[in-house]
Amino acid sequence: MKRVLLSLDWILLASLLSLAALGLCVLYAAVYQGDMGLWHKQSMFWTAGMTGFLVLCFVPLRILGLVSWPMYAVGLLLLMLVPLIGDIHMGARRWLDLGFANIQPSEIMKWAMMFVLASWFATREARGLINIAIPLLLVAAPAALIVTQPDLGTTLVLLFAMVALMIAAGLPWRLFGAAVALGIASLPVLWHFMHGYQKQRVLTLLDPQSDPLGAGYHVIQSSIAIGSGGLLGKGFLQGTQARLHFLPEQHTDFIFSVLAEEGGMIAVILLLGLYAVLISRILLIAQRAHSRFASMLCIGIAAIFTLYITVNIGMVSGVFPVVGLPLPFISYGGSALVTMLAALGIVMRVAIESHERIPWQRPGSPLA
Amino acid sequence: MRNKQLEVRQRFNVRMVYFFAATPLFLGILLFQIMQLQWFEHEKYRLQADQNRLNIIPILPVRGEIIDAQGRGLAINHIDYRVSLIPERVENLEMTLHTLAQALHWTDDKVTLLRKRIKHTRPDRSVLLDDKLQWSDVSPLAARLHHYPGINVEAGSYRQYPFSELTSHIIGYLSLANAGDVEAGFLPSEFIGRTGIEKSFEAYLHGRLGHQREEVDAHGRRIAVINRKAPTMGKTIQLALDTDIQQAASDALGERTGAVVVMDVNTGGIIAMLSKPGYDTNQFITGLESAQWQEWLNNPEKPLLNRATQAAYPPASTFKLVTGLAGLDQSSQLAEGSTYCPGYVEFSDRKLHCWKRAGHETVTMHKALVQSCDVYFYQLADQLGMGVISDAALDWGLGEKTEIDLPPESRGIIPAQSPYMMAAIKSTQSRRKKWFRGETMITGIGQGALTTTPLQIARLAAAIANGGYILKPQVLAHRPTEVLHQVNVKAEHLQIVRSAMRDVVLSSAGTAHRALNQAAWTSAGKTGTAQVVKLSTKKKNKLSEEEIQRHHKDHAWFMGYAPYENPQIAITVFVEHGGHGGSDAAPVAAAIIQAMAEKQALALNQQPDKQKMFSPTVSKL
Repeated sequence: MKRVLLSLDWILLASLLSLAALGLCVLYAAVYQGDMGLWHKQSMFWTAGMTGFLVLCFVPLRILGLVSWPMYAVGLLLLMLVPLIGDIHMGARRWLDLGFANIQPSEIMKWAMMFVLASWFATREARGLINIAIPLLLVAAPAALIVTQPDLGTTLVLLFAMVALMIAAGLPWRLFGAAVALGIASLPVLWHFMHGYQKQRVLTLLDPQSDPLGAGYHVIQSSIAIGSGGLLGKGFLQGTQARLHFLPEQHTDFIFSVLAEEGGMIAVILLLGLYAVLISRILLIAQRAHSRFASMLCIGIAAIFTLYITVNIGMVSGVFPVVGLPLPFISYGGSALVTMLAALGIVMRVAIESHERIPWQRPGSPLA
Repeated sequence: MRNKQLEVRQRFNVRMVYFFAATPLFLGILLFQIMQLQWFEHEKYRLQADQNRLNIIPILPVRGEIIDAQGRGLAINHIDYRVSLIPERVENLEMTLHTLAQALHWTDDKVTLLRKRIKHTRPDRSVLLDDKLQWSDVSPLAARLHHYPGINVEAGSYRQYPFSELTSHIIGYLSLANAGDVEAGFLPSEFIGRTGIEKSFEAYLHGRLGHQREEVDAHGRRIAVINRKAPTMGKTIQLALDTDIQQAASDALGERTGAVVVMDVNTGGIIAMLSKPGYDTNQFITGLESAQWQEWLNNPEKPLLNRATQAAYPPASTFKLVTGLAGLDQSSQLAEGSTYCPGYVEFSDRKLHCWKRAGHETVTMHKALVQSCDVYFYQLADQLGMGVISDAALDWGLGEKTEIDLPPESRGIIPAQSPYMMAAIKSTQSRRKKWFRGETMITGIGQGALTTTPLQIARLAAAIANGGYILKPQVLAHRPTEVLHQVNVKAEHLQIVRSAMRDVVLSSAGTAHRALNQAAWTSAGKTGTAQVVKLSTKKKNKLSEEEIQRHHKDHAWFMGYAPYENPQIAITVFVEHGGHGGSDAAPVAAAIIQAMAEKQALALNQQPDKQKMFSPTVSKL
């Protein structure tokens, strides 16, 4: 116990706690005119998530390596059940009613797939046909199921994490370049298969003013909220866009605009700074990790956080189309928060184990 | 093996460098976008946020009222109360409707209708439940308004014309702003003056919009009132018009078509201006039905026409005053001497008749005016020539606008021999090039192409009474007298005409003797009977036999002033197809004089009370 405490990564913990404090403040501002119950719920999610975080600090990484394949198998099975018996919610079939709880198999799959890829690349490099083809197939199966739900956000997360892990695992650049070129070339085909609402989102992104009261409304209102915040912001609880309910989904996906409106650019810089510390810390832990499996896990987690942050803020400020990804640690949402804290718990465990076993400059092979 | 492992590790380390570099890159791009919004485009978004949250609600001004010389309202604002409901704010709709139905005495049918209306309205929009309510109806409700969330009681005002038909032409009417007005900055819900005083004094009456700046939420619900600028009420306007005199004139005219003008001979104030038939201007406020409007437009009696200013008719014998004054001014032999009237006058191959076929025997100017001898004026006009007559007519204010503040106004027509006037003749008559002698002669008795408006004739009467001052007719009270023009006329010439006009009433041979000699005030005047141009066959076909007969009847005129010794008012009565001036128009003047005299006697008796009379605040214009 004492050993674990001593080897905790305090910078990671400090940035996480700062984000917790900031997140709860912003959520307070987002819901205080509406349902304050949400704020209390989120506080409870934090408590639960932090407990999970602490528990995971004591779970050896070996065990994760052991459960990764079974977890992937169960995840895939559940995912296949979704089209058959899933619940339709907001026009997409994503949820599975297990009697005691509604779960989103894609959420499980996201993490399971990362564990599987990490353990795959723990002993291999992303070079050679077999080494690349098998992980591609491992991702393609769930990705195909998820994209038809439809859930573009999670699919994007899967692909992004996969690419990040492959690059970390030494994917040759020319293959990467070829994949990017192929991706761009397939855009028109993708467009053809996109759902109407997804096409609408892309079109609206290109010109939000074309539909100011419909699909463009969200982006326009959040841009107004952010822009009107200015350098210093309108003050805590003083944001008119937030207070008067002009912002859509202001406690979940669009919570960034509440922060930007009330806190101004100062708060934005603070938030992005905290994220920068958090992500670089995860990357640093990845580099210092005692095993290649641990490094890969951390890189995957850092990639997912980066994607969440980029897509969410990009969406809210009108750079990306509206894709429902949460802003890590700030957006309201229990399951997202708990899984992200669990992921950070794993990162912390990596830091702890590395601290125990490995001296500062690690000799030897990452493939050992 | 060791080398291979080292290679892998090195490759991993290199890749890690990329990741370390990528993180600030991603976050930097985001920061750049945020900087764009919050720094460089902050102003634009700040304004948009204000536009979002601020709602500026215009508050309509209350239109200024129009009152008559006694302070009676001619165009007033009626306050009414409206009850409306915002469905989503109502806690218990059934209970609320039940309470309201009891308080406002609604029938079950109305409640059912309202329930349907509420159902079909957006829940955040106000639904009008009842309007045109009196304070007594809504006061119990208003006092307990906090018990009924979602219910609003608001006061509004609408225009009312208490003497609508009587004053329709002088007061005019309003209608809602049209596309052009909206472009000029009016709201679609504002009423704009379209005719009469309502139009010509629109700028004074209208008032200024106020506004209320409110903070609203995304659903448009009011959160708070930020500030409020009260509207400026339009100014009240007092007219020189006396509703009693107007009413007396209207009663005397009865159902006949025509116009009456009563003018203050000293100030030009319009004491009465009536045009018959009138129309109900209130209907423009309550919502004029298109069928009614079409009926007014197509009615052969033309109720929308202000006959006092917008229609010109042959002045007939009333014009003999102008011919006579021109003759005196020119020191014409005939004007100072006499002629013999055999009942007709012959020239070249034509023969013009006097109205009295038996003739007037020897006639002087005085006798010719009193008995309205045509032959005398045929000869006088023939001697003077058209140029002199038209100059005199222009001098006495005919053939030009009176500049009364009631546009549009007709000029009337003065035909003349000059090439300029020939053009006017050409446009109204057939394409003739030549001016005939006979035309000058019939113009001399006010027939032919000559036309004048009743207002012009009233002003002529006033000018004869006041010594030749052509005044601007003033519709507003308390305005300084405006002399547009002074006729250069010798006092003794004027006296000749005046005494002749006096004898029209006084002498038993005078044309207005029977109607006016017994009147309360002494008066002087001149009758006229204008021959009507025969109807064209095309027009005839459209009318019934009865109407054709009516249309062939002559127009009746009377113009004059009273009291004779100390003139106060000039009166013109015009009865369209009314028959004879003496028998049909002059009695209306008698009724007006009677009403004026009664009023003055009353005012004299009640002199001490005069201070107590209602004295409205009247804006200085």
